[in-house]
Amino acid sequence: MVISNPIYFIALPLIAAFLLPLIGKVYKPLIRIFPGLVFAFMAYISFDLFLNLQAGEAKIIQIAGWEQPWGINLVYGHFSGFITLIITTLAFLVWVYSYKFKKVGFDNSQKFFILLMLMVAGSIGVVLTGDIFNLFVFIEITAISSYGLTAFYKGRDGAEAAFKFLLIGALSSTFLLLGILILYTQTGTLNMAELAVKIKTIEPATQALVLILFFVGFGIEAEMFPLNGWVPDAYSQAPAPVAAAFAGMLAKSGIYGLVRIIYTIFDLNGIFGLLLIMGLLTMVIAETAALKQKNIRRMLAYSSMGQMGLIMIAFSLNTKSGIYAALFLMFNHAVIKTMLFFSAGFLTYTTKNKKISDLDGFGKIMPFTALMFGLGAFAIVGFPPFSGFWSKISVLVATADKGFYLVLATILITSIVEIVYYFKIIGRLYFKKAHKEVEVHKPSWNAQIAMLILAVIIITIGIYPDLITGYITNAADALFDKAAYIKHVLPNLTLN
Amino acid sequence: MQEYLTYSVYGSAILLMLIGLYAALVKKNLIKIVIGLSILDAGVHLLFVAVGYLNNATAPIFSEAVIGKNVVMADPVPQALVLTAIVIGFGVTAVALALVVRLYRKHNTTNIDEIKNLKW
Amino acid sequence: MKKLIVITLLLILGFYLISTFSSTPFGAEKVSGVKDFYLKQSPETLKVSNVVTAIVVSFRGFDTLGEVTVLFLASTALGSILYRRRTKHSGLNPQREAVISSSLVRTGAKVLFPMIILLGAYVFVHGHLTPGGGFQGGAIIATGFLLILISYRKFFINHNVLTWVEAIAGTTFVLIGIGGLIYATQNNFLENFLPEGTLNKLMSGGVVSIIYIAVGFKVGAEITGILDTLLTIKEAGLDPDEN
Repeated sequence: MVISNPIYFIALPLIAAFLLPLIGKVYKPLIRIFPGLVFAFMAYISFDLFLNLQAGEAKIIQIAGWEQPWGINLVYGHFSGFITLIITTLAFLVWVYSYKFKKVGFDNSQKFFILLMLMVAGSIGVVLTGDIFNLFVFIEITAISSYGLTAFYKGRDGAEAAFKFLLIGALSSTFLLLGILILYTQTGTLNMAELAVKIKTIEPATQALVLILFFVGFGIEAEMFPLNGWVPDAYSQAPAPVAAAFAGMLAKSGIYGLVRIIYTIFDLNGIFGLLLIMGLLTMVIAETAALKQKNIRRMLAYSSMGQMGLIMIAFSLNTKSGIYAALFLMFNHAVIKTMLFFSAGFLTYTTKNKKISDLDGFGKIMPFTALMFGLGAFAIVGFPPFSGFWSKISVLVATADKGFYLVLATILITSIVEIVYYFKIIGRLYFKKAHKEVEVHKPSWNAQIAMLILAVIIITIGIYPDLITGYITNAADALFDKAAYIKHVLPNLTLN
Repeated sequence: MQEYLTYSVYGSAILLMLIGLYAALVKKNLIKIVIGLSILDAGVHLLFVAVGYLNNATAPIFSEAVIGKNVVMADPVPQALVLTAIVIGFGVTAVALALVVRLYRKHNTTNIDEIKNLKW
Repeated sequence: MKKLIVITLLLILGFYLISTFSSTPFGAEKVSGVKDFYLKQSPETLKVSNVVTAIVVSFRGFDTLGEVTVLFLASTALGSILYRRRTKHSGLNPQREAVISSSLVRTGAKVLFPMIILLGAYVFVHGHLTPGGGFQGGAIIATGFLLILISYRKFFINHNVLTWVEAIAGTTFVLIGIGGLIYATQNNFLENFLPEGTLNKLMSGGVVSIIYIAVGFKVGAEITGILDTLLTIKEAGLDPDEN
């Protein structure tokens, strides 16, 4: 009986965020419950819409009743629907985890949930929109809420991390705006489908300039080198669920922006080569730096950067199997990294510096949490029978198909590096004796439920990957087919 | 004459952008960096509006004096975009200043070189 | 050394940009695109004379929704970063006590304040007829409040009122959007569902003027809230180190 409309993904968190201060005045405990209801409902309509989407279909929602390209439109196809599914499910799990977040004071939980809901709305807006200036606005919404969330705690160096993040972010969004301006000047339109058709009229030199501006604009959220200086600081200073949200939502929307402009709008030679080089650089530098880290959150942040580099490499192959591998990697990265950040949040709850060396022997002291962390570590390096195994295999297959054997070798070497530093931690957890005075904080029941759900997902997909391979193949087809996207949005224009 | 006008209008907007970029990247004082971001924004917005101008155009408002006559109107779309962009720039500046206040409270300095608690 | 590298890169970027933009002379006709549609439809279908307002609220209303959200976000993030307690206002801030403004400033502010508010209200109520609109009017109102905040030490802004105004105005915007979803002819979000009226009268444009009035209130309240937070930062308020 509920009318499932993709506009609810954005309208609902907005209205909930506006109303939350008033709700707080009426009845205090409702502040923690209300976002959960919103996220649950959004996850429900996400599943409802996505599972009922026919093959090759895309829903177009016109805002304000004006036809495209004169009005703004949302495009809910297989590709955007898949990413929206990931984001809404993660948002719900993050809420479950932070429901009883005791560290925030009585007052700040209201601001925490407002910022979180708006970050979710912004990420989904980035993925769903079909208009390039609207994309800019939603990227700004996501960025400002993440600045606020990074600086959330008083005691740590959150403000420094947030300031670095803000500086790089403000510069890159200005470049993005400049790129949009040049595109508008040369083509007269802001709709992405119409841009795809009209972009041939721009000379290649200008196209290259706009492409570089866009790379800088999206590269910060997609954690591309050299714009990822903010990542280790922000991931280590933010609260644990927020770091998981960064890895799962922020990075995904950044990569979506990059991919959308490369596959759908632009038509230059050498774009894919550029993405391949940036992806390789990101992956190699990140994984090497992760080896030397002593702080567990920074290590997880560098590992996250490495995974994003791998996703970029997979997207740069420009084949259907490459996109398939990249999407599978995105799904796994979102689920597994969230699990790792959740468990690391409790493993290092009481230690101020979050050093790895403090974790000796926690396998016996906090068995559930350590088990979850171990599960996540095994999954992300690609051991069977966990879900990470299938995505790693598909990346290697796709790279081999294209004949890039050097890239294949690099991926294998960095995978071995990953195994080394993750197993260092597992070794410390299980095979060393605990220090004398160590105080722990066991996870509360809601955090345990969140981690358990994630574990179930990881193991189920690991054993039966066919549960989602069909959907991923549809999504890969949807992205790869530029003409279909244009036909859905502008039925009268054709790509000549 | 036309070329001179083109270069001076676009050139001054781009010059503003470059000055703002220089301040944001090179200066050491936190407040100067935030001011640099503001100047950069001002330059981009100026460029936006300059692109929308047409020769002998009037403002895109259909007031009583203009209805029925055949006038050239300036492009309203960049003006609408700039409206949004100014507000967004304001929001980012406000958050940046709040962070500067908190950094000053914690470290008692506004020099970015001395605030390096987070190592590599 | 670093300065030299930065300057070189900036010069290259500037050169590249100037050559791109100067290819079309200033004021020449650019590529024809969406603007002709807007210039034609706005006085005919929507009956709104200010085309920029029509674009901001109706054609690209989603961007305005995003922008209103950005302002709300900035105000919330500011409050979260600076730990403003929304409890009762307890005493004066040492920073504001330091300066006592002269009687000239105080009297001038008292005279100007109602006029500035009136101007701001005029700008956002007539947003669809004259240049201006919700954002501009809201900014003018906030400037009036800033004048009073600077001149009078004891002027106290009740943040509860601001919160209510912000929340109600923001909710009105989204509710009008959802109203478009339910009542309008094509069932689209933010579509116009009120009668349009005649061109150049105050009651024209359907939902456009109502949305802009709500935006004007929200922007005024929010910018005032941001200014007040920045001006009344308490020195003693940072709790001991928390993990």
